[in-house]
Formats: sequence, structure tokens, C-alpha cells
Amino acid sequence: MERHFDLELEKLKKRILKMGNLVASQVHQTMVALVNCDVEAAEEIIEADNAVDELDVKIDKLCQRIFALTQPVATDLRLIMASLRMNNDLERMGDHAVDIAKRVEGLSDYKDIVQELKIDELAESTDAIVRDVITILNSRNIVFIKDIFDDSEIIKSKIQLISEQIIVQMTNKTDVVVVATNLMIILSQIERIADYSLNIAESIFFLVEGRLVKHSKGFWDQGTATKKNQDTTTEENEDTTIEKNLPSEE
Amino acid sequence: MKETKIKTRNLSLYYGSKMALNSISMDIPEKQVTALIGPSGCGKSTFLRTLNRMNDLIPSVRITGEVLVDGFNIYDKNVDAVNLRKKVGMVFQKSNPFAKSIFENVAYGPKINGIHDKKKLKEIVEGSLQRAAIWEEVKDRLHDSALGLSGGQQQRLCIARTLAVDPEIILMDEPASALDPISTSKIEELIFKLKVNYTIIIVTHNMQQAARVSDNTGFFYLGELIEFGKTKKIFTVPEKKQTEDYITGRFG
Repeated sequence: MERHFDLELEKLKKRILKMGNLVASQVHQTMVALVNCDVEAAEEIIEADNAVDELDVKIDKLCQRIFALTQPVATDLRLIMASLRMNNDLERMGDHAVDIAKRVEGLSDYKDIVQELKIDELAESTDAIVRDVITILNSRNIVFIKDIFDDSEIIKSKIQLISEQIIVQMTNKTDVVVVATNLMIILSQIERIADYSLNIAESIFFLVEGRLVKHSKGFWDQGTATKKNQDTTTEENEDTTIEKNLPSEE
Repeated sequence: MKETKIKTRNLSLYYGSKMALNSISMDIPEKQVTALIGPSGCGKSTFLRTLNRMNDLIPSVRITGEVLVDGFNIYDKNVDAVNLRKKVGMVFQKSNPFAKSIFENVAYGPKINGIHDKKKLKEIVEGSLQRAAIWEEVKDRLHDSALGLSGGQQQRLCIARTLAVDPEIILMDEPASALDPISTSKIEELIFKLKVNYTIIIVTHNMQQAARVSDNTGFFYLGELIEFGKTKKIFTVPEKKQTEDYITGRFG
């Protein structure tokens, strides 16, 4: 039997996906602008951020309305909770993309350094992790969530490596200090984008499986995420391992 | 983990040849609230009534299996149903005070159980009305007719009447379904307080009420117990699709 508020839930699913695609495109354009040190493209990204902000507010309002009027439970409840979290993470991700775009101008005279540091490889990985997590959001195929965790670890390693190279450059050539600092800040923004991608992956896992796995790095390391019946929920089948490690809410 | 107060084992009930409950096995913990939910005709009220043998009063009912309260099968031949109902009290959907004073409504049970000492009766009445959270509203008119109380007050009076015979288990069959939201919230608050001392089993059609007041929830469908577990789990991650469909309103 179709319920009248199924239409509202469908609207929410579509909007969160639209938000995901919008932010994925924002990150993609930012990464291209970064690699090419393309100031003009960066300015377009900054201008287009309003669309993300407007959609963010629309999704929040829709969730508020569904909560207030329908008292959702089970999958419906999880959809709204996960959507609120993902919406927030996507909006923050978009903000970081814009922050990076704002720093592209400062790189325009240092394209050689950007190439030398292989920022293009990092940009490619960042673009991919965001695109992949949005694909999972669309398909709800949680088998691929472990890949997001692995990819975020790879991005962190690359950032670590590039950071070390930047420090060496700063030590040797004092005239690059300003651009190097700029790049360090960009690296930190990229790291946050990877973190938010993982957060979104965890929200999708919660939505599909009903288990909270945030703050549980070990959970992904062990590769238990996709093993549905390998239960982290031993105590009365209700609390995840990580929840048990957190302070009791009671 | 709470001790089990009521244990049913393969409990089936037939109205003539029609099976109304199909082999229900359930462990109900003591001093907690257990909610029974399910669509009309699913057997939840029938199940509730088996717990104090109210179905004995219906001709053509046949029961198989066991209901153990504190380990004793209440369907054993030597169990006295009247004594059982002192231990397992019941509150119904429609409040049903006697056409007597407020005091006499509450004192009725203790009196027929042989308590006639006025001081003792007064203590029981006051204590019961206090535990039923209605004392402050009626203490100055204890000898007025109970029928002059509002619907919500009548229902709390009926709860006080149940408490007066000192039960261990209270069965509630839609206790708030005929009440306005304020009276409903008072009953729910009362249930929450009562569970400290009593084991409560409540049948409700109001899903949000089940979620708000209960520790455990059993979902019945077509005479079968489909799922039974912690309320917080049933309402967030139910195991069975039928439960999910029912609580989210996708049923049917």
C-alpha cells in the first residue's frame, strides 16, 4: 500500500542525490582548476556555490517536516537521519571545494611546483573518492564501502608525502614559503573532503544495515562491513562494538 | 537483565475450530513494560486475556500449551482463577468504574478479599490513588460518585482499583485509546512510574505509544508472534520485513 508520505521520502531521496551530484561536480571542477591553476574556472566554482547552499536548506526543511508530521520509524527514520547527516557532510565538502578554489589564484605563478609535487595524482584520487561515494549513495551497494575507506587512507598517505616534500622546498627556498603555505592549506582541505566522503559512506551503511559504525576505524580495517551476519551486535543484538565503547546514554 | 515473569510455551487458542493464537512462545521480563502490537484481529488482545485466564469465561474456547507465571502453569487444574486475577490485574479500553463512590471503587477489591478494618482500608485507598497519580485530584471528594470523574480520571481510578488488591502484573488493553492527549500522556507517565514495581503488558494500536512507553514489543499477525524484542530495536532496526512494513505503515 502506498502511503502519502512515500512521496515526501522519494523527494528526499532525489534531493540528497541531487546534492551529492552537485557537490561531486563542484569537487571535480575544483580539482581540474587546481591542477591547471585555472583562475577563471576557480571563480566560476565560487559563484556556483549558492546552489549547494540553497539545496542544503531545502533538504533540512524537508527532513524537519517529515519528522514533525509523520513520526518515522525503522527504515524511514534511518533515511531521514542519514539524509540529515549526509546533507551536512556534502555541504561542508562543497565549502572545502570553494575554499580550495579561492586559493587557486595564489598558485597561478607556480604551476611548475604544482606539477612537481604531483598534485594531479592527489586531485584525481580526491575526485574519484567523491564520485564513488555518490555512486554508492545512488546504488546503495554497500559492498563497495570498504573501497572508500581504503581510498581515503591512500589519499592521506599521498597528502603526507606531498607535505614532506613541501617542507623540504620551504627549507631550501625561502621565496616559496607563501605558495607552500597555500598548498599546505589546500592539502588539509582535501583531507577533509576525503574524511567527509568516508562519513557519507558510513551514513549509507547505517541507512542500509541499521548499524552505526562512525568513529570505528577498526571496523573497516577488519573488513567486517560487508559481512552481514558477522555480528558486531552481540549484546541483545542491538549495540555495535563501537557503541559499546562509547559512554552509555543512560 | 531482568528475570522472566511470564513465560508462554507453544500457547495456542481456538474459538471452536478457529485457531486464534498459534503456538506463541514468549518470555516477558518482570518490572518492565511489554507492548503488544498488530492489526485488528491479530490475536494480541486474545493473548493478553490468556495471561489471567479471562478467556475461561468465553464458551467454546480451547487452549493448549503453557502460561507460566513465576514458573507455575496458570492453566493447571488446581489454580484458582480468582486468586490468579488478584496477582494479574487488568485495565480495559473503556474505563468501567462501579456506580459507587471513588473510595468504594478502590476499597471494593480489598473488601471482598476480607479486609474490613477501616483504617487499613483508608490506607489502601489512599496508597492506591497515589500510585495511580490521581490522589491530588480526588482527595477532597472521595465520597462523590466515581461516575462524575472525567474519562481520564476514571481510567486512572480503574488503575487504582487494580493496584488496591496488590497485583504483581498489570494487563492493559488499550488503556488510553478513548482519552484525549493530555489524559493519554498522564496514563503513559503513570505506566512509566508503575513499572518500577509491576510487570506491565499493554495492548495498543498506537504505535508511537508503544514506542514511548514500552521496553519490549511483540508484533502479532494472524495469531502468530512475528517478532518480539527490545522496543528500541523493533522501532529502529526490526528483523522481520512484516514488522517493518507494519510499523512504518506499509502494511496491507
